[in-house]
Amino acid sequence: MRGEKLIALQARGDALRGEISFEPCQGCHRIDASGRTSGSYPRLAGQHGTVLIKQMTDIRAGRRNNPKMEPFIGDHVVSPMEIADIAAYVSNLPIPKEIGQGPGTGIAHGKDLFAKDCATCHGERGEGKGEKFYPMVAAQHYRYLLREVKFIRDGDRRNSNPEMVKVIGQYSDEDLEAVADFMAQLVAPKK
Amino acid sequence: MTRLHLPAALLGLTMVAMAFPVQAEDAKTIAATICSGCHGEDGNSTIPMFPRIAGQDETYIIKQLKEFRGGQRKSDVMAPVVASLKSEDLAPLAAHFNGQKPKGQDARDAKLAEQGKGVYLDGNENSGLPACIGCHQPEAVGHGVYPRLAGQHPEYLLQQLKSFAANERTNDASRLMRVVAKRMTEDEMKAVTEYISGLGPK
Repeated sequence: MRGEKLIALQARGDALRGEISFEPCQGCHRIDASGRTSGSYPRLAGQHGTVLIKQMTDIRAGRRNNPKMEPFIGDHVVSPMEIADIAAYVSNLPIPKEIGQGPGTGIAHGKDLFAKDCATCHGERGEGKGEKFYPMVAAQHYRYLLREVKFIRDGDRRNSNPEMVKVIGQYSDEDLEAVADFMAQLVAPKK
Repeated sequence: MTRLHLPAALLGLTMVAMAFPVQAEDAKTIAATICSGCHGEDGNSTIPMFPRIAGQDETYIIKQLKEFRGGQRKSDVMAPVVASLKSEDLAPLAAHFNGQKPKGQDARDAKLAEQGKGVYLDGNENSGLPACIGCHQPEAVGHGVYPRLAGQHPEYLLQQLKSFAANERTNDASRLMRVVAKRMTEDEMKAVTEYISGLGPK
């Protein structure tokens, strides 16, 4: 690991400063970092700080495809230290109650797929693993999950873990809908 | 004897005045003589093309004044005015207008304002337009580098949005407003400025 991702990870992020640096993000991700239940913007509150740092630095370096967000996370907007601050602030926010849900019809099938292919990394309850940069997928908006798993499968997200691309490469659209349906309704575990 | 005491009395008065915030008094005089023609003596301009600056954040006012002077914000009207001000006048002047009570108006078109409220609170997810509330705060009171917008003339707000979108105004923090304005349709601009104009005290 190198570059500003490493700098941000090593920095002692400060939540108070992060609250200020997070302001330009609030227009999309909301003041409580709950995102949008429509799934256009993910819920960030309570996500692992390492995951937030990885995604922010990947997006601004062009490693993760996200043209909507890129102008708001460029190095002319925030420094690596501010990225660490934002992560410290957002990762400690309470996970909101209102999460965009799927149709519910895929939960049973999604549960099987998740147990078989996803739980090893993302945790049985979808809690993720901060030290490995595996995001918490529980209590994420359904539409956002669905969009991203499709991006990952089809190679459009670009910064995906190759292991994950291999695993879900064979998934059908219905499989992805089912697994997203399942993950969205998982209750985020208490830290 | 009386004549002899007069200069001493005057000196005494001067010293009293110096012990008190003479700067605030100066700022009031500058505001009344230089600024009031366009912005109104209390900062509540009644002319649509000149912004209301009463209650505006001090750091924001100072930033704008400095950038009018430095040319980072271009204005044929403001450049010569700011050139006539002394550097040490800027902060007291900003404090003066910050301390004035803002006075706005009701939105003229309630239906348009209602549409604009949606833009202000939610943005537009399809175009990636962030909600204004994220930076400019609930009720558009602003703070720091994000200015107060509540009660502003809608004509002025619209003109600024268009200037940002056209890269004519380029002194926005981190280029954020240029990105935001470019993602707005003209209808969204008209609606949101109508909404903002109706916020705040009347």
